[in-house]
Amino acid sequence: MNLNYSEEQTMLREQIQKFCESEYDFYKREDIVKSDSDFDPNVWKLFAEQGWLSMPFSEDAGGLGFGAIELSILFEEFGKSLVIEPYLATVVLSGSILDKSSYESKNQIIEQICSGEMHVSFAYAEVNKSYDYSSPNTTLDSGNCLNGTKTLVLNGANAQKLIVSCSKGDELTLVILDSNTKGVSINSFSTIDGQSCSEISFENVQLDSLNIIATADEAKRLIDESINLATLCVSAEAVGCMESCYLKTLEYTKGREQFGQPISNFQVLQHRMVDMFIESELAKSLLIKAMLEVNNNSDDMFKHVSALKSYIGKSGKLSAKEAVQLHGGMGVSEEMMIGHYLKKMISIDALFGNADYHLKKMS
Amino acid sequence: MDINFTKEDIAFRDEVREWLANDYPKHVKEKTDNGIALTRQDMVDYHKALSKKGWMGYNWPEEHGGTGWSSTQLYIFNKEFGLAGCPPLLAFGVSMVAPVIWTFGNEEQKKKFLPDILNFDTWWCQGYSEPGSGSDLASLKTKAVLEGDHYIVNGAKTWTTLAQNADWIFCLVRTDNSGIKQEGISFLLIDMKTPGIEVKPIITIDGEHEVNSVFFTDVKVPVENLVGEEGKGWTYAKFLLAHERFGIAGVGASMRQLNRLKGIISKLDNSELQKKVNELEVALSAIEITELRLLSALENGGHPGAESSILKIKGTEMQQNLSELFVEAAGEYALMYPGPHGYESNDKPAGPEYAAEGLSGFLNLRKTSIYGGSNEIQKNILSKFVLGV
Repeated sequence: MNLNYSEEQTMLREQIQKFCESEYDFYKREDIVKSDSDFDPNVWKLFAEQGWLSMPFSEDAGGLGFGAIELSILFEEFGKSLVIEPYLATVVLSGSILDKSSYESKNQIIEQICSGEMHVSFAYAEVNKSYDYSSPNTTLDSGNCLNGTKTLVLNGANAQKLIVSCSKGDELTLVILDSNTKGVSINSFSTIDGQSCSEISFENVQLDSLNIIATADEAKRLIDESINLATLCVSAEAVGCMESCYLKTLEYTKGREQFGQPISNFQVLQHRMVDMFIESELAKSLLIKAMLEVNNNSDDMFKHVSALKSYIGKSGKLSAKEAVQLHGGMGVSEEMMIGHYLKKMISIDALFGNADYHLKKMS
Repeated sequence: MDINFTKEDIAFRDEVREWLANDYPKHVKEKTDNGIALTRQDMVDYHKALSKKGWMGYNWPEEHGGTGWSSTQLYIFNKEFGLAGCPPLLAFGVSMVAPVIWTFGNEEQKKKFLPDILNFDTWWCQGYSEPGSGSDLASLKTKAVLEGDHYIVNGAKTWTTLAQNADWIFCLVRTDNSGIKQEGISFLLIDMKTPGIEVKPIITIDGEHEVNSVFFTDVKVPVENLVGEEGKGWTYAKFLLAHERFGIAGVGASMRQLNRLKGIISKLDNSELQKKVNELEVALSAIEITELRLLSALENGGHPGAESSILKIKGTEMQQNLSELFVEAAGEYALMYPGPHGYESNDKPAGPEYAAEGLSGFLNLRKTSIYGGSNEIQKNILSKFVLGV
């Protein structure tokens, strides 16, 4: 047994940390949030140059063949710096489906994702379907005509291609199409954590069999595994946020003086920060278990990702709320970073099933 | 990264399981499986069975007659015993006083006391807490005055676990009042048969007699029973505490309780309780992996440090939360409480069998977040050594 990260993994973490420090500070992030596109094309180009966009793709498809451990490291570090670039939508959600599918023209698309030229979004969610992604109301008729509406499509506004889950008869089906295809209309919104998502409707969008990625069992497996990997990634992001919440709060209370002394001298605050530290460590432990299970593609991987997601949903929000409280008035200021962790935690809990959903799913 | 144990460790686990299946005394197993309290003789039989196998010194180095097991083996041993529902091994002799004796004691003391601990021929208890000294242990007042070749001990110890069964007690006593309170404390070994010692039961809220007050009135203790140097007792006490943290999470025992609870709740069709059980399952997994992370650090040359306080806090909260769910599962039968030994067979009332056990555990386990350095003290430790405030 050895639960330490390897030298290469530690180097990767340091590389990402360095990048975030020099290229992605909080003010830079604020500029990106306020921009129209909700991401920075230059940063995306740098991601491509570092090789990060190729990380999870298999070597056959031109990727680096990294697994869940490296992705978790990347997202932990993204969480610490509250990176909002659309890595999850393009590389994780869409990338996982393409990479693991038997779709013939996948390598071309993957190549363009790796080089940073293309964004792809996965439209899995529908109104009133809660977290059920396996029985979409969006339909593909026998003549391959697509009709329906998808909601909460992450980075939908920037995607050149869309992967859409739909029903063909009673068969679950995954199709891929250009987002500027006739009959596709996209309405975009900002998310609470500064990203963007879209409501996308498809009205008599004419496709052909070349647009079909997978059907039936293969489609179900691709969706389940993609959502599961994305759930792991946002959970890792939450773990990074939790560590930052604890460390930034500690730093703040050490510097903030009231009643003639640093407020970190007060035991009531010390114990609350200890609780934040403990929760952060326990969440890290569940992350390690879940990422190893996903890395091994084990039968239990869904269960362990659910365990992790349920845990960070609760304790992550708790840590962020405590961080805001212990920062006093500064905690609720838009110009301070700390309050933005709370928004990130809300968005992570909302994605792919909240804490309650995953707790129930476990039994 | 690899979360799996080695082949050798798996073989070791199987050996532990084999002992539990074949050599764990049947009469002890039958009682603990049915929630019946053990007698002194039962506990002696249980420990002597381990001595016979050569496992009484499970956490001792080989040079003192122990097993010399690795941290991973120790972890596996603790976990398997917990999973099998074995009562926790009595720590006072083998885990607490013994390391102090072999580290700070003289050759005669080692020869006199260590073999008896390995054979479980002496039952030790711990004389630390006093009526006025709980978490602030260094404020202790029990006084030992040297007169010729004896110390004369006067004072009172409290919360002394199973003192009614003990042959010997190791005590922190005050031999000097002149300096700061941590100085002037000495570590004495006292025969419980010495005249002037009186043991009075303290009945806890579960109705059990587990802890006691121990009074010392002009108790004559030979000077050769002083361990190490006079006035250095506080250092030895701290050494002892550091020795004891590992394995405190009780993951194996909690897993057993969780599995039993899952069995009970699956029959109740109560989705609220089911959700709470799932929540505890997740939290227990988090504790288990946190312990494995510490273990991995230990095996790779690190040391566990203050982080082990996390295991004390979360492990004991887990034990308490599990027991509370047994009570919740009992529903309205949580009203009935027969005391720690259950109902006699002929006056057994209606209601689920686990109700009494659940209540007994719920009440008894309140102690876990209080003893061994209360959970608030653990948070102070983490504040100081991890947060640096």
